[in-house]
Amino acid sequence: MKIQRRRLTASIPSFAMGDIGFLLLIFFVILARAQDDSHIQWQPAKLKDVEMVAAPLASVAIDTGFKTYLDGKEISPDELASALSTLLGDTPSGQRHVFLKVHKEAKASHFEPIIAAISEAGGDLVHILEPEETRNKP
Amino acid sequence: MKLKRGKMLIDPPASASSDIALILIIFFLVCAAVQPETGLAQILPKTEEKKQQRDQSKNIEVSITPTSIVLNGSPLQLPAFAQRITAALKQKTRDADRIVVVKSSPDTPYPIWIAVSQAIEQAGGILTLELESERIINVE
Repeated sequence: MKIQRRRLTASIPSFAMGDIGFLLLIFFVILARAQDDSHIQWQPAKLKDVEMVAAPLASVAIDTGFKTYLDGKEISPDELASALSTLLGDTPSGQRHVFLKVHKEAKASHFEPIIAAISEAGGDLVHILEPEETRNKP
Repeated sequence: MKLKRGKMLIDPPASASSDIALILIIFFLVCAAVQPETGLAQILPKTEEKKQQRDQSKNIEVSITPTSIVLNGSPLQLPAFAQRITAALKQKTRDADRIVVVKSSPDTPYPIWIAVSQAIEQAGGILTLELESERIINVE
């Protein structure tokens, strides 16, 4: 006489599907932000009449130690133009936005070669700045 | 005689509190990451090395130092510079004449530089940077 082995079945609870889908969605949203440079330490300069800016194709930053970063990775200013050209590819002019985040204490010797490199790569330069607060005189 | 109504207490399941905390953390992380940014768009001519001496008489020249802004040889402060550059560019009609050559000393701070470049662009000028190139000369 054969005794049949009892099969164990394991099923994923269907009520958890919504939660799993939501977590996966958020996970991929965070992964999609490949050009994250939130770890870079810098303080923006303040200026009057700044405007909201469109999403960039690349982001260049100069931090408090005056080091240069492209999309969060350190890069030398000499290599920046070619790296940017590769990133921007054949994107038509007007959509080749490159964010430039310069620490407010940086000098011309730090940021001018970077601006020249962005210009050489054909990027549409956007300086990231903080709006200056207007003080009302009493 | 008053009868007391029994209160129904519903506790959220304790096993779900870690899930709730995780979702809240991720929610605020995403909110912080997608904050819109403000800035100033700038149109710059493509970088090129000029071997020939350019005609200096046609273009407006601006020199920036940490303490002053020099427009065609006369030192100014920012408000006066904005007025003078607007007046100077009003007379120019062709695009080629609206080029403003900006030369900065190496120790020029970024806030001053960006304020000057904004004043030039608001006056209708086309900003062009003049960078000093390094040359190595071997002396025998």
